[in-house]
Amino acid sequence: MSAVLQGNPSSQWETAAHDVIVRAESIAKYFDVSPPWLNRVLERQSRAILHAVDGVSFEIKRGETLSLVGESGCGKSTVARLLVGLYVPTKGRVNFFGHDLREMSSQRGRHLRQKLQMIFQDPYASLNPRWRVADIIAEPLKAHGLMKDKAQIIARVDELLQQVRLAPADKEKYPHQFSGGQRQRLSIARALATKPEFLVCDEPTSALDVSVQAQVLNLMKELQREMGLTYLFISHNLAVVHHISDRVGVMYMGKIVELASRTTLFKTPRHPYTVMLLDAIPDLEMSGRARRPVAGEVPNPLNPPTGCTFHPRCPHANERCRAEVPVLKLYRHAGGETQAACHGVEEGRI
Amino acid sequence: MTAAAPSSIAPLLEVRNLRIEFPTRRGTLVAVDDISFSIAPGEVLGVVGESGAGKSLTGAAIFGLLEPPGRIAGGEVRLAGLRIDKLPYDEMRKIRGREIGAIFQDPLTSLNPLYTVGQQLVETITTHLSMSSAKARTRAIELLASTGIPAPDRRIDHYPHQFSGGMRQRVVIALALAAEPKLLIADEPTTALDVSIQAQIISLLKKLCREHGTAVMLVTHDMGVIAETADRVAVMYAGRIAEIGPVSDVIHRPQHPYTVGLMGSIPTFGHEKERLTQIDGSMPRLTAIPSGCAFHPRCVHAFDRCSRERPGLLPAGTSMAACWLHDVTGGRAAA
Repeated sequence: MSAVLQGNPSSQWETAAHDVIVRAESIAKYFDVSPPWLNRVLERQSRAILHAVDGVSFEIKRGETLSLVGESGCGKSTVARLLVGLYVPTKGRVNFFGHDLREMSSQRGRHLRQKLQMIFQDPYASLNPRWRVADIIAEPLKAHGLMKDKAQIIARVDELLQQVRLAPADKEKYPHQFSGGQRQRLSIARALATKPEFLVCDEPTSALDVSVQAQVLNLMKELQREMGLTYLFISHNLAVVHHISDRVGVMYMGKIVELASRTTLFKTPRHPYTVMLLDAIPDLEMSGRARRPVAGEVPNPLNPPTGCTFHPRCPHANERCRAEVPVLKLYRHAGGETQAACHGVEEGRI
Repeated sequence: MTAAAPSSIAPLLEVRNLRIEFPTRRGTLVAVDDISFSIAPGEVLGVVGESGAGKSLTGAAIFGLLEPPGRIAGGEVRLAGLRIDKLPYDEMRKIRGREIGAIFQDPLTSLNPLYTVGQQLVETITTHLSMSSAKARTRAIELLASTGIPAPDRRIDHYPHQFSGGMRQRVVIALALAAEPKLLIADEPTTALDVSIQAQIISLLKKLCREHGTAVMLVTHDMGVIAETADRVAVMYAGRIAEIGPVSDVIHRPQHPYTVGLMGSIPTFGHEKERLTQIDGSMPRLTAIPSGCAFHPRCVHAFDRCSRERPGLLPAGTSMAACWLHDVTGGRAAA
């Protein structure tokens, strides 16, 4: 049983190695949140550097969905923005189809940019309220100079609207005439306009009600199947992540602490933080059960704990955890393969 | 134990045929339409629904804080037998905080940023209980300690901005329970918090309410929170109660087609699903509530009666559902 489980993913990894379309190579993003110069001089305050993302590496293969989960402030949205080039990494690099993402701003990078699109969290803020739907969806086509002919553009807009299960007649309307779920479909239609291969979705359903969320998640899965899309899915909702992902990365204080296939991660979580998160979710199945109390809060990211940043909340922490920063390593176990950054897992204590 | 509707015990809160309207230039909008429910002493009633279902308005109406132009246009609210929906402002102020406590979604807006949490707690305690301010301060420290705030004797002199989100919500809970109210209205108390903090706050709420015997009306859109906390649950749709019943029955054996769809649309870990159940369409706007059953345009089981006649709450299993599918009498003789 375990042999089969171990054999399968590794062979998949090898055959699909050339099919990696995005590779983050220990990317980091630091923000300078220091007080103004005068305060630093007069009040002897020091510089403050926020390590929003600190050395994150992963690969995303063609056609798969990688999700990043974590609580607010863990850096997951910053990773999303680094991956589409909205932020430039302080360290490391993002490799996209074998090219450094920094090339994308050049003329040569234009065709690369078309393959990469983003869907944002708030469908109320991400659509221009003064534009008609037709203009919103056609904007990427015009910006990239993909289509000049008006009739051609309209035909493409109609096609896109149908792809997201809206009616072509909707293109004459303004965003305020749509509900939250319909607006998110419009964002998806706009993102699909340039025929991208890779979509970064930053909390695409967290502003939506559950029944509407189900509609959007179903649509995203259908589109992925139809067009062979690759997703990076950012969410704080573990149940949604469980539903949509192939692989899941758990982030804590700017680092990935555990990365595994969905089944492995949810069935056999290894990192104590993942265990804690899974334990904390209110679940429909266990009505009335007593939750295991979860201790502590996320520490101040400006003054992170030494060693493993999770050690103040971890029931298994020891001296080594307080002193030494753990690195992400691959472990094979009965449940499959897991990458985890934990001294306890390494020493076999957990 | 409190799962079945306790008919023998006199209810603590009784809402009968409550109707909330918003008069506008283009006609009157009915945001909450003829809803009735009750909460027994010590019971936790969950109220779920999607945005715009009227769940928060119901809470605000009971608490007497309906924002104009919204107004109670019909029905009555009784607290321990006393009618409270028509009370003069000053009378209601005495009940608010003393008999009914409230917790809102955003802990930062529920606290005054210009006063320390101690000042706010002491004010609440001395307003409602006859206590000297020195005694009230001791009690405030006890309250903060009971909500799990570390070093309460120091923290009491801090301002709200010096607390984290989770700690702030603990302060709000302490504030709501300061005068030991019999009923607590918690409107999305954990929505603004991260999951790990959410878990802490829910277990704290459960623990404190059990200790004090406080009844809770828990308004949320999160079925998971309801599943863990509530004894009974009311599912609201378009300003009406679609289904009300014991929490495990509503979750595992939903009777109303809307509840069935709602439960299926929630992703869970339990079973692998390629597709989530999808309720097509969206909740009607208040300006265009369908005739008859408000859910009929989206309902897969709808038949002609559904668009003509509005169903009342009918017995369905151990729950009550507002759906003609459960009308066993049909056209025949009524039992």
